[in-house]
Amino acid sequence: MNKPASKLVVEDLHLQYGDNKILQGVSMTLSPGEVVALLGASGSGKTTLLRSVAGLEQPSRGRIAIGDTVLYDGAGGIEMPVEKRNLGLVFQSYALWPHRTVFNNVAYGLRLRDIPASEIDSRVNQALTNLGLSTLAARLPHQLSGGQQQRVAIARALVYNPPVVLMDEPLSNLDAKLREEARAWLRELIVRLGLSALVVTHDQTEAMAMSDKILLLNSGRIEQQGTPEDLYNRPQTQFTAEFMGSNNQLPGRVREMADGRALLEGEGWRLWGTARGALKAGDAATGIIRLERTRIANGAGDNRLRTELVTGMFLGDRKENLFKLGAMRLRCYGTPVPDAGGSDCYLELPQDDFWVFAAPATSAAAAA
Amino acid sequence: MIARSFSLPRTSVVAITALVVLTPLALIFWQSFLNAPFFNPQRHIGVDAYAFIFADADFWSSLFNSIVIAAGMVLIALPLGAALAFLLTRTDLPGQRIIEVLVLIPVFVSPMVLAFGYVVSMGPVGFYSLWAKQIVGDVPWNVYSLTSIAVIAGLTHVPHVYLYSSAALKSLGSDVEEAARVVGANPLKVALNVSLPMTMPALLYAGVLVFFLGFELFGLPLVLGDPEGHLVLSTYLYKLTNKLGTPSYHLMAAVAVCIVAITFPLVLLQRWLLKTAGKYVSVKGKATRQKLLPLGAWKWLALAIVALWLIFTIVVPLSGIALRAFVEQWGEGIKLGDVLTLANFQQVFDQSDQVRAIINTFLIGTIGGGLAVACYTAIGLAGHRQQGGIARVLDYLVLIPRAVPGLLAGLAFLWIFLFVPGLKELRNTVFSVWLAYTVVWLAYGLRLISSALLQIGPELEEAASTAGASRAQVMREVTLPLIRFGLLASWLLVFMIFEREYSTGVYLLGQGTEVIGSMLVSLWGAGAIDQVAALSLINIALVAVGLAAALRFGVRLHE
Repeated sequence: MNKPASKLVVEDLHLQYGDNKILQGVSMTLSPGEVVALLGASGSGKTTLLRSVAGLEQPSRGRIAIGDTVLYDGAGGIEMPVEKRNLGLVFQSYALWPHRTVFNNVAYGLRLRDIPASEIDSRVNQALTNLGLSTLAARLPHQLSGGQQQRVAIARALVYNPPVVLMDEPLSNLDAKLREEARAWLRELIVRLGLSALVVTHDQTEAMAMSDKILLLNSGRIEQQGTPEDLYNRPQTQFTAEFMGSNNQLPGRVREMADGRALLEGEGWRLWGTARGALKAGDAATGIIRLERTRIANGAGDNRLRTELVTGMFLGDRKENLFKLGAMRLRCYGTPVPDAGGSDCYLELPQDDFWVFAAPATSAAAAA
Repeated sequence: MIARSFSLPRTSVVAITALVVLTPLALIFWQSFLNAPFFNPQRHIGVDAYAFIFADADFWSSLFNSIVIAAGMVLIALPLGAALAFLLTRTDLPGQRIIEVLVLIPVFVSPMVLAFGYVVSMGPVGFYSLWAKQIVGDVPWNVYSLTSIAVIAGLTHVPHVYLYSSAALKSLGSDVEEAARVVGANPLKVALNVSLPMTMPALLYAGVLVFFLGFELFGLPLVLGDPEGHLVLSTYLYKLTNKLGTPSYHLMAAVAVCIVAITFPLVLLQRWLLKTAGKYVSVKGKATRQKLLPLGAWKWLALAIVALWLIFTIVVPLSGIALRAFVEQWGEGIKLGDVLTLANFQQVFDQSDQVRAIINTFLIGTIGGGLAVACYTAIGLAGHRQQGGIARVLDYLVLIPRAVPGLLAGLAFLWIFLFVPGLKELRNTVFSVWLAYTVVWLAYGLRLISSALLQIGPELEEAASTAGASRAQVMREVTLPLIRFGLLASWLLVFMIFEREYSTGVYLLGQGTEVIGSMLVSLWGAGAIDQVAALSLINIALVAVGLAAALRFGVRLHE
């Protein structure tokens, strides 16, 4: 397939229904050959952003362009009709046309482009072969499994070589086991065909696995964007830190600051952590650490907590343990080493991995 | 839930249903193979009745007329109904909410009343005809021609097509249409390549339904076909009584069997179409807001066409009746101001049989409608969550009365009440009419009940069973309370249908069994135009009360 040469640029996009502001100034770029994931909880505006690029939603201002082609410009009053945008969209529900065979579902986009029948034949067959569907061309959608329907939907979106492929939760209709295989398969397909793709998902693992860049959306704004490693290892806000990965949260109050580090204090514990954002002594704050960075220690020491083991859960490849410290619950992986035959254990929270974020204004007020 | 499908209550419900559905049909069938009425001791089995009607030129011309009218109805109603559905569900046509209600009026007004309305408004000396004559010097139409009958029947059946196609358009997920837009189809191509083919099963179904209703047509051809002698199968059957002078039940039965031989396959075809339509129901997409197609300046043209249709099918006939009910007489050279009167209503209220007809019609709609809904509910519950045997038996039992036009069903019930020992006493009570109505509208009523039952998630009933409730308790304490509102809505709809019904009561009409519908047929035959007008208006008022109540309580007027 052709390598697309132009870049998708979204600038300061706003969209609202009545008083309900769905998008509040979103900007992003998607370079050729790149995969960008739009990640967020439901209601964050990620699907609306995707549909705005496709032309299925009407933004109120901003600009969307691919290379020199302006798809939407609120100031210039430009709004290109959906069918002229030449994009591929994979729907969450797949939206296969039930009255057309697999072949005719895929071929429709080419027929609309007045491509000669013989070329349609070869291109559809090529697309179906690429997606491992060559034996199913004559079937109707209702005769296919969920995974096969998904692949037909992808073939239909790719067959006319759109500069950008848009995917709306492409894996969410598959069951859990199939989803992991499909994720790897989809990533391989994207890399093999050199696609530029914008993928909506609510699953952070999926976003990290499939994309080169993640846009984390929160209430219609971009919370943080960057590579998967950036978002996972260097979250700028508590929201990002909590959204990516599984965490232990320790609410407390900053007792003192010392060169980028904060001493967080709670009921019966004190820990040093890396300060994230502006903090000063006396502020309410939350300490966050990934489960896999929380370590089981075999005795008292720096940045360690004495906790009571509540229970253990066997997960197959590892064991997850639940500990109790006052009203707080902490989890970590590994084999617990009970102290002196009792049920108490020591947990170590390394300073570099223990991030201290200022508590949001409302909860600070509630704490005070 | 383990279905204990042979419990006593369920078996008796199915047995009673089978009895009331099959007996009349069997009787018609048997009677058609006799050479004289079945109570005549000299009767013997043979095909004389068929030989007689097949030799009758009138039979063939009425069959031909029926086919022409039914085909004409499909040609008119299908495109208009589909276009109307598209305009009302997919475009920004102004006044949609009012139009959606108005569109349904022809469904609930008795065809007998509508036909009469066309005679008094557009007949040779109708109100609108004479006004047209004053302007253009001549009446530019003839409502009594075969073409006019087909056109009027076609236009009044537009709502049936509209209902099925709008339901199909509404259930069509917007994602499949968006998918077509994204791959490069403009809105017109989306409509032609995706929306139309996907609603095709519904359109096909509606087409077959309208064709089928064409064969059931009775009131319109009776009133409009009479002056020029156009007969259709049902009016041919009705006129047979006069043909030989003696009760020619065997001939009527033979015609009835011929009609059922046409309608029953059509009913089976509808059923099959409905089932195959299921495969087009794709994975349901998310219900995103449907973007309405802006019509721009075209919306005024579309609105004008819709308004023209509404004027022709509702305003013209109903205003004609309303006017005619308040004038002594009407004809050329008469001034409206001189002839205004209330005497027509006076006449109606002076006749005890007509007063009884009004009271009976009201009772049969309210109490009778409630009882009918109770019966439909019992049948619906008997088949509820049942697989196999009993459900399939019920399924087909319900289809049979659908294929038997009301006129024939009334005839069959007359015979049963006359000649089954012990039932003769009931013959002269309104019970006989109620039973016939209930059986004729069985399929319709059951569809209302089952659509209410479908709303209940099976897990609600399963939870009750798991908690220890018996099947009867589950029904009493979970199922019935949950469909309460659905049952009330069904009652209202059945009320309107029973007020509107006319053909079923025609042969049952007698002292004590008068209803407005059959009274209208009888009075029309006797030429009592004044009273027909007054009774028609009263009938419209009764239906309007039901319609107003239905709208007030937000009842969906179709399933």
